[in-house]
Amino acid sequence: MEKYFDASYIWNSIPVLLPFLKVTFLVAGSSIVLGTIFGLLLAAAKLSSIKLLRKLANLYTTIMRCTPSIVLLFLVYYGVPALAENFGINLHSIETAIFVVVTFTLQFAAIMSEVIRSAYLAIDKGQFEAAVSVGLTPFQAYRRIIFPQALVIALPNFGNGMIALLQEGALAYTIGLIDIVGKANLIIASNINAHALEIYIALAIVYWVLSIIIEKFFAMLEKFFGKGKKTLETT
Amino acid sequence: MLEIKNIHKSFGNNEILKGVDLAIDKGDVVVILGPSGSGKTTLLRCINFLENADQGHATFGDIQVDFQNVKKKDVHSIRQRVAFVFQNYNLFTNKTALENVTEGLIIGRKIPKVEAIEIGKKALDKVGLSEKYDAYPSQLSGGQQQRVGIARAVALNPDIILFDEPTSALDPELVGEVLQVMKNIAAEGTTMLVVTHEMGFAKDVANRVIFMDGGVVVEEGSPHDIFVNPKEERTKKFLKRVIPEDYNYYI
Amino acid sequence: MNFQFLVETFFVALSGVPIALLVTIVAMLVALPLGFLLALTRVNKIPVIHHIAKIYVSFVRGTPIIIQIFIIYSSIPLLLKIIFEKYNIAYDIYKINPIWYAFIVFAFSTTAILIEVFRSALSTIDKGQLEAAQAVGLTTFQAYRRIIIPQALVVAMPNICTATVNLIKATSLGYAMSLPEITLKAKVAANVGYNYVEAYIDIFVVYLILCSTVEYIFKRYEKHLSKFKVAKA
Repeated sequence: MEKYFDASYIWNSIPVLLPFLKVTFLVAGSSIVLGTIFGLLLAAAKLSSIKLLRKLANLYTTIMRCTPSIVLLFLVYYGVPALAENFGINLHSIETAIFVVVTFTLQFAAIMSEVIRSAYLAIDKGQFEAAVSVGLTPFQAYRRIIFPQALVIALPNFGNGMIALLQEGALAYTIGLIDIVGKANLIIASNINAHALEIYIALAIVYWVLSIIIEKFFAMLEKFFGKGKKTLETT
Repeated sequence: MLEIKNIHKSFGNNEILKGVDLAIDKGDVVVILGPSGSGKTTLLRCINFLENADQGHATFGDIQVDFQNVKKKDVHSIRQRVAFVFQNYNLFTNKTALENVTEGLIIGRKIPKVEAIEIGKKALDKVGLSEKYDAYPSQLSGGQQQRVGIARAVALNPDIILFDEPTSALDPELVGEVLQVMKNIAAEGTTMLVVTHEMGFAKDVANRVIFMDGGVVVEEGSPHDIFVNPKEERTKKFLKRVIPEDYNYYI
Repeated sequence: MNFQFLVETFFVALSGVPIALLVTIVAMLVALPLGFLLALTRVNKIPVIHHIAKIYVSFVRGTPIIIQIFIIYSSIPLLLKIIFEKYNIAYDIYKINPIWYAFIVFAFSTTAILIEVFRSALSTIDKGQLEAAQAVGLTTFQAYRRIIIPQALVVAMPNICTATVNLIKATSLGYAMSLPEITLKAKVAANVGYNYVEAYIDIFVVYLILCSTVEYIFKRYEKHLSKFKVAKA
């Protein structure tokens, strides 16, 4: 059986796939926003003086770090409706996208909690002391002095987290989400698996370009927000 | 104006302050000397509540404080009257020199921005940094950063300025410029409480010197009393170690 | 909730652990030295190779691993078929054990990750260390083996641990290559009676135990390695 590799198939399929990036972005975007908020709460818990809160937050992070994405996806997809059934709530007609967002929000929050926590800890305690010494309330000190500095430190790790989330999101097709990967698999199935390699290469190109764009964007942000910081040489 | 009575502070099992009394009048320039671990920095940090003393009383003008039972409101009011200059400057790295000085005025004391900038510029001029309003701390030398730190304290027009080893983190050639600034503001009548190892400053500028060791005040008096006629053995030992044998410290 | 199934499937999932570990270990054994060497070319800016390495790393980090798996799993049989036909090797490509594809994919991916890990670890080592080693008469090779690599390893350990844990998690994608690892085995068992929830709970627990154990081992090893570091006074 001669397998016919058609390179032009790669370029031709990209326009067909691109519209479905909308779904990919919507799902990733929601997960990032919700995940950051939840991550902020977790970071606060990890830094709090209440031991129980710290232990719970750390336990959550460890569990998330040790769970593969597809396992989490399926657990949420099958497990949450099953759990809800016990309380008489029927979740079976909920959009697949919701389950995907929930899964990646949970995952992203764990990553964010570490990024935020380490950025906060990297700031000299003296900054806070000086702020309250000139008469700022603790809240004002955090908002005007600590937070802006923590943002700059967290920015590169946030960018990496975003790119990682984008990659993990490609697995959402396994529970039926028709994002760009889902559409690609539909096309392949409708061609009875011919030209599968070309379509996968097209997908890889799309994702690669997206990742590079995000990287460049964050590099720009770091430059913009890093006013007043001495920049290090980077290779 | 400021009176501290019987202040105690422990860190874990280590008692650092073992009952210290202190009284400062308006216009005083008081220098605290002592070996490391004597509690001088801890004393300073307790005064503006960067550390929480375990025991003791204090009177800041008309505010009475019991260190075992301090009200947040009182802490905030006291911090408006007491300014602090840090050993490591602690300038806000994300703000310019001028913004560092005006931050406390605009946000802490709710002074209108235009007025605050005027005050800020004057303070920076006073410390000799008129060219550096818009410089970020990372662009300034250590001496310049500390001078901004002093300007930041001065601009608040506090009742008293606390200095925690202001020149200890500086390269030797930059110490002079900071000490000169401190001399100038002392001459203007600012009340200052200074922890330092700079004996020259203590002799020339202070009107009172306190020697602390092991968490207690060992001896206090005028610079003449302490440097020329020290009474306590511990004081004499400390001075011998710190001042070279052949130095003529006869005032 | 079918508890009997829950318990039975736990052991089914557990039976996939050896394969997952085998793939992880083989991939790591290839990726560690290869990643280190390529990291050296990046740090020392060896012409041509360091550019290729840069693009290679960018590709691996910029594309989802599942897509890398799809591409490699689709293209290698193709290539092999062409090679076999050219040299008249009578081997059925469909008989190749999926584990070989797994080795290739995960070694490919992990090498790229480790290039970055080693590159940043090496950049924290003072250049003076190499200079001093050469000054006392060590060859460059000896200097790396006895001075540089031990220090870089300590710095890189946490990231190597993360990479290993991520690799173990990535083996869950082996289903795309029909690899009989943890997830696939349990899923197959679940398909019989549609007991998906129980199956995924078991899978989840197995990965949790596996990853925590690996993290614990790494932390112990890190402590052992840092013995030469003096604690901050």
